[in-house]
Amino acid sequence: MTVQSMESGTRTKGRPAHARGDLIQDFGPAAALVALVAIFAMVSPQFRTVSNLQNVLDSAAVLAVVTVGITFVLLMGSIDLSATGVMAACALSVSLLVANTRNSLDLGIAGVVLAILMGGAFGLLSGLVFVVLKVPSFMTTLGVAAIGIGVATVLFSGIQPSIIDESLLGWASNRVLGFTQMTILAAICVIAGWAIQRYTRLGRYASAIGGGEEVLALSGVRVGPYKVAVFALAGCFYGLAAAMVTSQLGSGIVQAGGDYTFAAITAAVVGGTLLSGGRGGVLHSTVGVLIITVLANGLILIGVSPYVQRGVQGLIVVIAVGAAAWPLRRRMTVVK
Amino acid sequence: MTIQHRTRRSGQLVAVLSLGALALAACGSSTSSSTSSEAAASSAAPAASAPAASAAAPAASVAAAGACDPSKVVLIGQVRNETNPYEAAWLDGGDAYAKQVGLTQQRLTYGGESTKQQEQIRQVLATGDAACTVLNVLPNGDSDTLPIVKAAQDAGAWVVTQWNKPGDVNVPDYDHWISHLTYNGKESGKQIAEAMFAQMGGKGNIVALQGILDTAAAKDRFAGLQEALAANPGITLLDDQTADFSRDKALAVTKTLLTKHGDQINGIWTANDDMALGALQALDAAGKTGVAVAGIDAVPEAVQAVSDGKMTATVSSDGPWQGAIGLAIGYCAATGQLDVASLSPENRAFFAKQFLITKDNAADFLAPKADPADFDCANVFNRVVGPIQ
Repeated sequence: MTVQSMESGTRTKGRPAHARGDLIQDFGPAAALVALVAIFAMVSPQFRTVSNLQNVLDSAAVLAVVTVGITFVLLMGSIDLSATGVMAACALSVSLLVANTRNSLDLGIAGVVLAILMGGAFGLLSGLVFVVLKVPSFMTTLGVAAIGIGVATVLFSGIQPSIIDESLLGWASNRVLGFTQMTILAAICVIAGWAIQRYTRLGRYASAIGGGEEVLALSGVRVGPYKVAVFALAGCFYGLAAAMVTSQLGSGIVQAGGDYTFAAITAAVVGGTLLSGGRGGVLHSTVGVLIITVLANGLILIGVSPYVQRGVQGLIVVIAVGAAAWPLRRRMTVVK
Repeated sequence: MTIQHRTRRSGQLVAVLSLGALALAACGSSTSSSTSSEAAASSAAPAASAPAASAAAPAASVAAAGACDPSKVVLIGQVRNETNPYEAAWLDGGDAYAKQVGLTQQRLTYGGESTKQQEQIRQVLATGDAACTVLNVLPNGDSDTLPIVKAAQDAGAWVVTQWNKPGDVNVPDYDHWISHLTYNGKESGKQIAEAMFAQMGGKGNIVALQGILDTAAAKDRFAGLQEALAANPGITLLDDQTADFSRDKALAVTKTLLTKHGDQINGIWTANDDMALGALQALDAAGKTGVAVAGIDAVPEAVQAVSDGKMTATVSSDGPWQGAIGLAIGYCAATGQLDVASLSPENRAFFAKQFLITKDNAADFLAPKADPADFDCANVFNRVVGPIQ
């Protein structure tokens, strides 16, 4: 009785309703994205310009990287609320390590690598507390987020460091094939994330842990180290995202992590990565990121009043999720 | 097997449905990340607090004028957090004042949590010599002001509040709540708009980035812009959007607005400097020059941008002065140099002076320095510009 057979059990031809449900779950969000793009393109001539396509992808870049990281944690069925705090600490770190207005350090790309490693270290901390002390991931990562904010506040110490490192600043402005370096970096992250999920033991075990940890453990896998590694991997993505935000904003700010934790979880779930774990993945989540970003961009372009935009955004997200859950509803006997 | 299977499925549905809540949380989470005065002046609906006010008045006949030994006064400055330049500068201003009178300031931050703020206040009042304690407080929201004031009143401590106060509460009803001061957001919104219009030569098109829409700071400042627009028929407001006082959001929204309106935009009015800096970054990324950008708060980066000519104007409430003045007023009252009962109502609740910063005077604000003479007991009400409307 392996995980594999449980998964395939849901896809046998004998249960067409379930198969259809899976299909909608896998491709529904993508269809919703296409529909959104089509509607906005019809209504707004500005929406269907090349420069707006660039703009949407540029705006999606940071969220995409955070979401790739968080997706691995969600696949395990855990949750990670640390992105905001980890990004704050890494944003301040990277801005103090590259050429800046506060100190004379000028580590260039090594500074960015150090910030990514710092993110990984925060993830490692979350993972260890979660696995070794068995504190629920919700509480663990909330605590680590607070530590991150604390570290960032100490590093900030009242004076904002502005970046003068041209190469880091260039991430947000230099264009390759029409897209900023940052957007291309985000695309690489998505592809790398997908490859990790698909082709490495770490990625496959993450899904398997979410699908049924006991089964995996019974088949002789020591799941602990993989769980820790997943949190560390997510932390690395947050570290990179922090460097990207810092490049965009031109200075290291404690608020760099902003709302990214919840925006990323929302994007992942809208894209079809379930909070219960085991289902979805990096590509699903990325579709979710694009849905959220296109929605924010399109509503401004078609001239929806700012006073109702947020309500409309929420409504569309709820409708999209409701539609995706519709075929599944008969399988769920109890909803809490 | 079947049981296990079903459990897993229901787990999924729970997950799917919890998304609804999540999505709302994410979309609706008005960020606590906005960094300065507008976050400071968050609006809560005026609490039903009038009856409480009258009830508290008799309690305070103990010491209407303080008689503390100046060396025994305890100075406490309390703000949300030290993660932004404005509030950090506020506490630094308090430190500088404390040094001036030979004391030290206790720096308190409550991370934007109302309950934590109340707890801190209760603690300092319970542990120290309350009658000689001076509190210079930034209440988290309107509804937090009254509990703080009552705690101080009951303990006999001296308190000055800034930014947030329910409109229907009268400061003179409390003899230990010396003053409440805030700033006229409508005026600052109007001032930066006018500076921007002047730079644009009185004609052209602008877009506006508003703050968190349901806050008093965002509403007042936008009303100021509208007033300026009414007086300048040559200027057209093409679009107004919200970027929640956040630099990150302002960047994305400005990029989208540049796509929408292209070269028609001659000016970007923003309700705070963080958004102005985000807008500047978007203009840079798009390679656009010659667009006037204005904000409010005078955060150091913005003052630098004004000085460099990249930004048109910003408005300063003078954070270091705010951090010092509350302590100074309290110190004067606690040591008996200021008779609270004889203060005019205008000095009990007032709009303080704010400063428009343009290229001409930006150099003076790059390294803000407080003038110790401002905090002499005879001068503490020098910056009163009028009653709060």
